[in-house]
Amino acid sequence: MPGTSTGPAQTWGRFSRYSSALLFFFTFCAVVVVGLFVIRDLRRADKDEQNMFTGSVLSLHRIAALEYQTQETRRSTLYALGTADSNLHVKYADQSREADHLVSEGIAAYLANARTRNELDIGSRLRRDWSTYLSVRDEVLASILEGSAKEAVDRDLTEGVASFDRVRQDLAEIELIYDQQAAQQLSNVDATSRRTILRVAGVLAITLVATIASVWTIQRMRMTGAIQLAKLQMEFVASVSHELRTPLAVISSAADNIADGLVREKDDLRKYGAAIQTQSRQMMELVDQILLFSATKDRAGHAAFRTLDVARIVDSVIHQTAGFVRASGFHIELEMEPALPSVRGDASGLARCLQNMIVNAVKYGGESRWIGVRAFLRHSHLRGRSEIQIAVRDRGIGIAKSELARVFEPFYRSPAVVGEQIHGTGLGLSLSKNIAEAMGGHLTVESELGSGSVFTLHLPIVGDPGSQAAAENGVRGTTEK
Amino acid sequence: MLRRAHVLFLFCAALLAGALLACSFGLAELSASEQAAAERNLAIVVNQSNPVNELTMAELRRVFLGERGHWPNGRRITLVMLEPGWPERAAVLTSIYHMDEAEFNNHFLHGLFTGEVFVSPKTLSTPEGVRKFIFNVPGAIGYLRASDVDKTVKVIHIDERLPGDKGYKLHVPPREGK
Repeated sequence: MPGTSTGPAQTWGRFSRYSSALLFFFTFCAVVVVGLFVIRDLRRADKDEQNMFTGSVLSLHRIAALEYQTQETRRSTLYALGTADSNLHVKYADQSREADHLVSEGIAAYLANARTRNELDIGSRLRRDWSTYLSVRDEVLASILEGSAKEAVDRDLTEGVASFDRVRQDLAEIELIYDQQAAQQLSNVDATSRRTILRVAGVLAITLVATIASVWTIQRMRMTGAIQLAKLQMEFVASVSHELRTPLAVISSAADNIADGLVREKDDLRKYGAAIQTQSRQMMELVDQILLFSATKDRAGHAAFRTLDVARIVDSVIHQTAGFVRASGFHIELEMEPALPSVRGDASGLARCLQNMIVNAVKYGGESRWIGVRAFLRHSHLRGRSEIQIAVRDRGIGIAKSELARVFEPFYRSPAVVGEQIHGTGLGLSLSKNIAEAMGGHLTVESELGSGSVFTLHLPIVGDPGSQAAAENGVRGTTEK
Repeated sequence: MLRRAHVLFLFCAALLAGALLACSFGLAELSASEQAAAERNLAIVVNQSNPVNELTMAELRRVFLGERGHWPNGRRITLVMLEPGWPERAAVLTSIYHMDEAEFNNHFLHGLFTGEVFVSPKTLSTPEGVRKFIFNVPGAIGYLRASDVDKTVKVIHIDERLPGDKGYKLHVPPREGK
């Protein structure tokens, strides 16, 4: 049973137990983090688009409207040249003034919204140039209304065209600024979109890789488990065969000697008969243990539960194993609290459990040849109940910490123990654990390599509410299973 | 004693209310009479930029006859007339030109042909058109009912009098239907 080495398969097994969950967790975290980035990018892109629309596209529309109104101002003025009717002159003058009023308002709005120094400079220049043009326009209009068309045309050509061109250049500069801003914002949107696509691709890639890794891990875990189970079963078959073969060999040899007439003396015959009896009982015991393991695995034994006197059962087991213990050169030191309360369970199961614990203590008890059995009442704060604890202690070879978690696995035998030719099936502790759990209790182990081990059977007492519920849960659990 | 005070208080209150009523009626009456006066007075208006604030009736007649071509600031004088049929035009022909329509037309045809007249009058179809024309042309001069005048044009004194002043000579019959 004890051992110190842990093979790669065991390491992998332990890793694979948690690796899937960890992998899923890390995948989830990665997807959440990248997803948050993606959402942030999408929101930024949306904001950029809105900025582009409100900041640049609408501004370009406003500038286009401004350009139209400047043209309208000039156009209406020039229309007046085409008629001699003073009433029409007045009408065109009105149109021109309405348009110039809208332009002035547009320029004021642009200046109010200007954010950069450059925008402010251009806006101020536009206002100045527009004012200059309006002065010329007023003179041209006056000349037209006075009937001096030639004078109006001369003035328009000499001053009006130049000043209006300056206004147009100013507007073109503003348009260029908005174009540049729109292009910049468009490139921002493009960059954000590209980044978002990359991140989404990253999320998909991470998810794909993680899924593949998870599937691979799960498959590997299952395969490793199956291999380990097959290996354990093979070891079990070999061990059982070996355990059966030894007594069979003894029985066969004794029978041969008797049949061949080599044994004639009455004392010898009795000795041979006793040997055959002992070996056949060992075989029967082994077969019983295997059958019992199978039965407890199927949880078929709980129907016979009844109130048990623990002290009497402990005494009985020690009495039953006394011959074996004595023959092995061990002695048992028993310490039992007086008036221990009763527990509920299967008497034969409990006896089998204690027997296994004592036999194990003999098997792995080492050179100290000492076994301590102690039965006492304790309150378990962890489980919130009172329970009887039966501890079987030895001062033997102990169990490595890396092996502690596996000693209760069915068919498990430490490689070190197998190497030392200590016979066993690997079922004893597993069987004991199943029996304890079937009675609402549990089996624990504390051990130190080279110093010995202590196996403690915890059984809930009868009458304790917490213990009662635990016992019922144990029974119900076994029934349902 | 207390009763007498009450009676006195009520008497004073009634007196005050009566005075207020009379004032309001009086103001309304005054406003209506001013409105009527504005309707009947004919204002001579020029562009707001025109430095001239006052003309004598003789100077005004010279300007309207086209015998004067420029204002003191050098701006060319542009005479604005309403179309025939407007009472304002009739009043101007009577009060300033002392002519009828035919004599007015002959005067300008002849004067422009001979070069004695420097100004060809512009004819507008509405008082609003006249006002806007004068607003757009710095050297323009025209006439409007005082009630049609607004801040876009400037009313000048004629013989040191403004429309509504006592002794103001330019009047126009009220509009039909008023």
